[in-house]
Amino acid sequence: MKPPLEASSPASEPTTASARRKIAGARKNALRNHGWRGTYALLVREIQRFMKIAGQSIVSPVLTTLLYFVVFGFSLGSRLQEIEGIPYIDFLVPGLMMLNLINNAFLNSSFSLFIAKIHGAIVDVLVTPLTPLQIIMAYVGASVVRAVVTGLIIWLVASLMGAGTVAYPLFTIVFMLLTAIGFALFGIIVAIYSETFDQINLLPSFFLMPLTFLGGVFYSISMLPPFWQAVSLANPILYMINGLRYGMTGVSDVSPWIGLGILTALVLLCGLHAWHLLHTGKKLRE
Amino acid sequence: MPNFATAPTPTENFAGPVLTVRGLSKSFGNLQALRNVDLEIEPGEIFALLGVNGAGKTTMIECICGLQAHFEGQISVAGFDARKDYAKARQITGLVPQELNFDGFFQSLETVSSQGGYFGVRHPDQKARALMKRLSLEGKEKDNTRNLSGGMKRRLMIAKALMHDPALLFLDEPTAGVDVELRDDLWQYVRELRESGTTIVLTTHYLEEAEKLADRIGVINRGRLLLVERRDHLMDKFGRKKVTLRTAQPLPEELSGKLRTYQWEEGEKNEYHFHFRLDEKEPTLPRLFELLGQHGVSIMDVETRQSRLEDIFRELLQTDDEATS
Repeated sequence: MKPPLEASSPASEPTTASARRKIAGARKNALRNHGWRGTYALLVREIQRFMKIAGQSIVSPVLTTLLYFVVFGFSLGSRLQEIEGIPYIDFLVPGLMMLNLINNAFLNSSFSLFIAKIHGAIVDVLVTPLTPLQIIMAYVGASVVRAVVTGLIIWLVASLMGAGTVAYPLFTIVFMLLTAIGFALFGIIVAIYSETFDQINLLPSFFLMPLTFLGGVFYSISMLPPFWQAVSLANPILYMINGLRYGMTGVSDVSPWIGLGILTALVLLCGLHAWHLLHTGKKLRE
Repeated sequence: MPNFATAPTPTENFAGPVLTVRGLSKSFGNLQALRNVDLEIEPGEIFALLGVNGAGKTTMIECICGLQAHFEGQISVAGFDARKDYAKARQITGLVPQELNFDGFFQSLETVSSQGGYFGVRHPDQKARALMKRLSLEGKEKDNTRNLSGGMKRRLMIAKALMHDPALLFLDEPTAGVDVELRDDLWQYVRELRESGTTIVLTTHYLEEAEKLADRIGVINRGRLLLVERRDHLMDKFGRKKVTLRTAQPLPEELSGKLRTYQWEEGEKNEYHFHFRLDEKEPTLPRLFELLGQHGVSIMDVETRQSRLEDIFRELLQTDDEATS
């Protein structure tokens, strides 16, 4: 049985003294803490988040991509034999990897941030000393890990199935990282602006997926009539797919450096915009 | 009062108020949520911000804790400006928000532990376990946060807010929706926290909470801080005692003049209500009895009722509403 509560007495002298000590301790922590340990903690948590649903976040995209690889690679591969001078399955792998990188990077950051926003759990992050840059780094870092890990698994399995795709490894890795960073940043922006689940699904379903499929995942644009070739050249994702294809196979419909340029621009523009949104607190701190 | 114009002293020593708010105003479109609020919170106190729903309590806390980016005025937390030096200011504060939130992906312990991690706490698991134990959440470490009851979620949020050992803790409606036993337990814990040196600001529209816990009380109405007083001073200054006398016969006519110095009114048959201030220095009540005795009035019954904080609060709001309407 608990004793009945009395009305509390005003803060006594010893309480004030211990409060002063506590403030001094908190100020000491504040002056020492630069937020990097916190950034790492948020990064680890975001990685843990997608690992808790690894079946959906890792296994499912790998399986789907490999199904594309098996179905298209072996059905079309037997007819096409070679495309741009390389076996069709080698041609197919970079396109499928780009599809996977874009989807996973975008979905990870956008859904994680959006769900936190909808459920109110974003408050836990907003009250911390983490700067906008540190919050972005943690969310993007986790998305990059998810996208690159699934990408590498697909690459490995495809290689074991006979695809020879290691022309320029460094270029490939840089390209993969830039893609994942760019679309993870894009995901953060979309999550901040979105008010409903419908809005957040709008971009992957009606923009990213069609542009990726029409960006030469399964075919070379040289196989298209001149008009559709010209239309395809307006699709930025075409340059990304071909850039990765250049890194992995050495062939490309367009200059791989344009793809690298577009990705760098995507990273810079989305990075600046995401930072601006978090810095001003738009839709999050208002 | 801290000087906002200069950079904070780069040492842990700080002698001013733990929180200073100057001219804080905040509006949402046409709605003026806060109007030119000034407030200082001293180290080690429990301060209760009282107000009805929509009075501006939560908005004020959100401005201080970084959940509202745009406001007018200045906020300093232990010498750190809440906007210019936001990272340092947030290291000093802890917030238990009013809205229960949970992250359905994680277990309770993981949630508490990572909150410490965001603030740079090393090896946070051990501390998270200790806090959960103190808040009677032992055995719930592996439970998913979404499966906890409302009261447990509330306690889990308190544990999260305490992970980085904040010097200034904000409890926004801490006992909203919790049962009586848990409420008493939480109040006890709030007092323990204060004893250990944590300064506490709580918002409530539950007057008993302020009455039981607070050293000082601020009353906020429609975004304006109407007054800030020590709880005991508030009772003395604004409290009233109502003495109802039932007499054997009506008061004689000649007494009316002599009773002019008293505030009183006639009730039902032979019933008279006299009102006294609690901080009156003169022995007015004994004098009243003496006077009635001198005029041969027999008193059959005496009933006294002292106003509670609730009465004072209602009266303040009523006066403010009348003044502003």
